[in-house]
Amino acid sequence: MINLKKLNISEAPWKIIFSASFLSFIGLVALSSISYQSPSIAQNPFYKQLFFLIFAFLGFLITFFTPKYLIHKYAYVIYSLGAILVVLPFFGPTHAGTYRWLNVGLPFNFQPSEFAKIFSVLALARYLSDNTINIQYFKSILVPILIALLPALIVLNQPDLGTALVMVSVIFPMLYWSGARPFHLFLLVAPVLSILTAFNVIAFTIWALIIAAVIFYANTKIISGAGYFFGNIFFGLLSRPIWDMLNPYQQNRVLTFIYPEKDPLGAAYQIIQSKTAIGSGGLFGKGWGEGTQTHLKFLPVQESDFILSVIGEELGFIAIVVILITFGYLISSVIRNSFLSKDKFSSLSLIGLGSILLAHVFVNTAMTVGLIPVKGLPLPFISAGGTFLVTSYLMIGLIMRFSINYSD
Amino acid sequence: MLKSDNLVSNRQFLIVRSFAWFMLLVLGVRYFQIQIVEHEIYRLKSNTNRIRKVNKNAPRGLILDRDGEILVDNYPVYVLTAIPGEMENKGNQFKLIADYIESDSSIIHSSYKKYYRGRFIPTRLAKDMNFLQLGNLEENKLNLEGVYYDQIPERFFPNGVRAPHLFGYVKEIDRSIRKNLINKDAYELGDLVGWSGLEKQYETFLMGQRGTSFYEVNASGREVGAASELDDTRPIPGNNIRTTIDLELQLFCESLMRDKKGVILVGDPSSGGVLAAISAPDYSPDFFTGLITESNWKNMRTNPDKPLINRYVQGTYIPGSIVKMITQVALLKQDNFDKNRKHHCPGFYQFGDRIFGCWFTEGHGSLNLVEAMSVSCDVYFYKTVTQLSLENLYDTFKQFGFGSKTNIDIPNEASGLVPDKSYMSKRYGKYGWSRGVLLNLAIGQGELLVTPIQILNYINLLSTKGRSPNNHFVFVDNLPPNVKPELSSEIWNNIHTGLRSAIVSRNGTGKKSDPKLNDFLVYGKTGTAENPHGDNHAWFVGWADYNEEKYSIVILLENAGSGGTVAAPLAKKVFEKIIENSRFAAK
Repeated sequence: MINLKKLNISEAPWKIIFSASFLSFIGLVALSSISYQSPSIAQNPFYKQLFFLIFAFLGFLITFFTPKYLIHKYAYVIYSLGAILVVLPFFGPTHAGTYRWLNVGLPFNFQPSEFAKIFSVLALARYLSDNTINIQYFKSILVPILIALLPALIVLNQPDLGTALVMVSVIFPMLYWSGARPFHLFLLVAPVLSILTAFNVIAFTIWALIIAAVIFYANTKIISGAGYFFGNIFFGLLSRPIWDMLNPYQQNRVLTFIYPEKDPLGAAYQIIQSKTAIGSGGLFGKGWGEGTQTHLKFLPVQESDFILSVIGEELGFIAIVVILITFGYLISSVIRNSFLSKDKFSSLSLIGLGSILLAHVFVNTAMTVGLIPVKGLPLPFISAGGTFLVTSYLMIGLIMRFSINYSD
Repeated sequence: MLKSDNLVSNRQFLIVRSFAWFMLLVLGVRYFQIQIVEHEIYRLKSNTNRIRKVNKNAPRGLILDRDGEILVDNYPVYVLTAIPGEMENKGNQFKLIADYIESDSSIIHSSYKKYYRGRFIPTRLAKDMNFLQLGNLEENKLNLEGVYYDQIPERFFPNGVRAPHLFGYVKEIDRSIRKNLINKDAYELGDLVGWSGLEKQYETFLMGQRGTSFYEVNASGREVGAASELDDTRPIPGNNIRTTIDLELQLFCESLMRDKKGVILVGDPSSGGVLAAISAPDYSPDFFTGLITESNWKNMRTNPDKPLINRYVQGTYIPGSIVKMITQVALLKQDNFDKNRKHHCPGFYQFGDRIFGCWFTEGHGSLNLVEAMSVSCDVYFYKTVTQLSLENLYDTFKQFGFGSKTNIDIPNEASGLVPDKSYMSKRYGKYGWSRGVLLNLAIGQGELLVTPIQILNYINLLSTKGRSPNNHFVFVDNLPPNVKPELSSEIWNNIHTGLRSAIVSRNGTGKKSDPKLNDFLVYGKTGTAENPHGDNHAWFVGWADYNEEKYSIVILLENAGSGGTVAAPLAKKVFEKIIENSRFAAK
């Protein structure tokens, strides 16, 4: 049996679960505003969210009361399980053309990629906390990259670009945290940026200068430095002819995948409506239930991905600032606890989970105001959505568990 | 376990934490820019300029006859819509509108409730507006708020062909319908969906793709032009479908069935295409297009003549003598059966303690198989069928597709019924029935039930000696496979001789169907099916060989009496029309 005393419950950072609950409360306020026209309770996002919050709280209790050594011991097992789970939807029917959802015989579907994100972080944390690797060498960071990439590539094919990006993005803070050289991380990102900047001569020239400068300051050997530089230039120069070889319809598919705004019936319309809603809210908002843009009903996912548009319109900039500060407080506490952690596994897990939260907050919030292309990522604790809400609270449970310093 | 120590430096901690706060700060600045700095722009935009998304329904594909004549077309009707969010006082507005269009405000209100989807989505109030109504509304436009017109394509039938059972009808999608659709994302409320007949069967071809337009709308709700940020998409009309129906023949057969109850089917056995299909009584094909009042609908549903039923695919009938060819085949398949041996018909036959009568009570005298077919003698078959078992008959019926759907391209087909041993035992108990059922089955009475389309397929198979493709109404690339009865040419010839003699011999039961033209060879069989619910049903089935073409025909007249006296003369008229129709002759 788990020894409760040994788990040091009293030392848990309760402010973390309080911050999360406060954000969920704001979410419920917004959901109740858009729910009053719902035809039935089963379709009412407010009641659905309340229902899932019960499960989310149970999930929180489970992860919170799981001893660290168990999580460490089974990190690779649940990681493999997660990799299998994200493959499973491909054997089922499509939902709106995607394979993201799994029907498990319950009245709702669940999205296994949400869980896989956490499992990737735990597996990475276990690998990187192992004493036998020397992270200073470039080749040592190849295995962690593979660990992060495998489930991400499967999820990318579901296709779910947003979730795949979150899965890959945790690798950078975690590598940095475990002591990898920033220059190595730069080398990882560089080819992607080389390809993207290649479509604009000025951007590409500036980028080439930056590469040269970074390589110079990194003090590498002449030969490898030249290799890195010309490798990237080569990548960039190659991307243009390859792009031109594609058929226009293939180009279009890639473009709408990266830039959904190209599709006037879909995302472009959402962004215009979302910005108008948020902008017209002003400092104090139009008042609860008074958002004319919100009640346009033209935003198909206003209860999940675009919940911030509702809040921005009805409760105003004040509410947005409160939300951003709460998230900042929460994430900053996670980083601080990670820093103060005694063992490396806990520390890395915390930084990974914190990164997932930050990635979600940034992508979702930036998307609703047109800062970045539309990616279907919900806002943690606030957006409606069963699986994601439960996973968010699972993460909170893990964060609080890893924040307690004890040895077992 | 977990013994490796955390070695994160102060520097790493500060960099990561600053990075996190920096990202949130970027977001905060962007919100500040939109909500505070540019607030006025967006406030105006939200108050005075809304983008309205309006769907344009795509016209459905046309339904054509075999030569490309239009059978089912589209024409535009005016629809009155309202934007709920722009109406201050709905009750009052509905009253005003009702006054202007001379309707009732409760009707308008119920339509509003039926189509309501959201405060800023155009909601349908009334349909089929005429120019007088539109004029009245336009004159009083200043009194109205948030009221618009829209044009939608609706079905109409330019050539006067009725065939409502064949074409089927389309339904407007309302909440309850949408809930039950399989691909509900392809449809919105107010869209049309094929609900029966060809409209339903070929829905994916006919439906087309909805277009979308975006409009800027000003403070008072008036459209001020296209929204420049967004591109419109045009509606893509549905595909046309070409049917095997011949317009002229269909119209003629419809006129023959006016005031009658029953079915006419004319087919082309070599292709399986149906040239004409009538189920009478029918209803006007635009019955479902306009507003159906409750009483009209109730009348239609409770009409004892059941006009809503498609008799040729959904109606199951006792066939009577028209399936004697099945008995004939089953007998000829027996090695020890002598088709030339004569049997005596005194007008009745005693089986056990029961008397089975012949339809011709005076008796046919003695006759062989072909003669028995020619005069449709019942006693001949009572006597010979004792050589058969129930399996023999059952297998032969199944060989010709009875008891199963023919898979014709129209929904809701019935299977009919061919009884076998297990069916009889289930129905009457294991010892509750005797071989006496064979006597009934042999002359097409008893438990047997067929649909007219099964009979058409059966005639097609007989006329082509088992090589007829599946029946169909629309030219398609891949037909479902048809049953393929394999019989010796001797058996096929014997059937053809019998059916020809039923038309040309002196006492032939079907002779009234013969238009008596030298190279127009009619083969046929009449039937008078005893009907437990009323007068006998009259059948005539057969085909004609003409100019190296074949024309199969199935006529059923409900409660009309004897097949030879009422159904056969109708067949003659159809044959004469086929002869007269120059396009067929030239083919």
